[in-house]
Amino acid sequence: MKKSILLSIAAALFISVAGFGQSGSKLVSTKTQITFFSSTPAEDIQAQNTAAVSTIDKSSGEVVFSVPMQGFEFEKSLMQKHFNSDNFLDTQTFPDAKLKAKITNPESIDFGKDGSYPATVKGELTIKGKTNPINESGTVTVKGNTVKVDSKFDVTLSDYGITFAKGKPSTNIAKTVEVTVQAEYK
Amino acid sequence: MKRKKVFRIIAILGVAGLLTGGGVGLYMFNMPQRDVQSADTDYSVTTTQIVQEYLENKDAANQKYLASDGDSKILEVTGVVSDISEDFNGQKVVLLKNTEDPAGVSATFTEETESSLNGIGPGQTITIKGVIRSGASYDEDLGFYLHVVLEKSAVI
Repeated sequence: MKKSILLSIAAALFISVAGFGQSGSKLVSTKTQITFFSSTPAEDIQAQNTAAVSTIDKSSGEVVFSVPMQGFEFEKSLMQKHFNSDNFLDTQTFPDAKLKAKITNPESIDFGKDGSYPATVKGELTIKGKTNPINESGTVTVKGNTVKVDSKFDVTLSDYGITFAKGKPSTNIAKTVEVTVQAEYK
Repeated sequence: MKRKKVFRIIAILGVAGLLTGGGVGLYMFNMPQRDVQSADTDYSVTTTQIVQEYLENKDAANQKYLASDGDSKILEVTGVVSDISEDFNGQKVVLLKNTEDPAGVSATFTEETESSLNGIGPGQTITIKGVIRSGASYDEDLGFYLHVVLEKSAVI
């Protein structure tokens, strides 16, 4: 009897400590901007998305981005329709993209001190249900209570099963697009 | 003489065809984005209803609400204002959420619709019209629930 009470107290303590630790070290961002830029001789295409949600775990260095794909906004309606269609990103079947990575140089980032720190991350990017390893770099900027992340990297569309056998988009969209990520955490 | 006339008609028809085809093509290419606020509403729901629908069966809800060309369903969502913030571009974002629900509906406004938020604050029950971009779900990697996302929103 006594033992079980002790055990449950220990368990409760452990859970509360674990819960506290998690909320303390995790930064959340709903203020994000992801843009992609494609350049071909035919035309330049750009789209932006401000609906992604991200977290950074200051202690484990884990970085997560969840991106609702239908949130990409194009200048032209037709481009947006092509982007969402099932022969491009098929956003009805694969509504979210996910980046899950770990900061590989946590020792060089001080989340408690104002400054701009170069960061490298290693992990996985999932688009259209296909996952590929990524190894990218970016900048972490700490200012007071806010943390900003900036990164720019290339995504090769065929790695994610995005190919055009024929049709107009194949000549108008580059094989590799440039993705820019910005996020503000609190 | 007759032959010349036939050629002329063919030439005129050809040019007219080219002009129409080119015109349609140009129109398609430059077609503006759909105006969400003047379009018809597809579904009227409460925040609790749509969040539950998504948490019960995300795939079925996506099939119902998301369109394959991205022109997804236009919703009127009624709920309690939990928070008003700004996104990366300075656009207003209203979170409608019932305190007992694990997730709510996050609605992004535009420069044109921002004024419909005048005088509205947390605790008020309002109805927002917008286009759905994604549904609610528990995200294991983030460690919390994601809200339903509406864009091009306005208070109605």
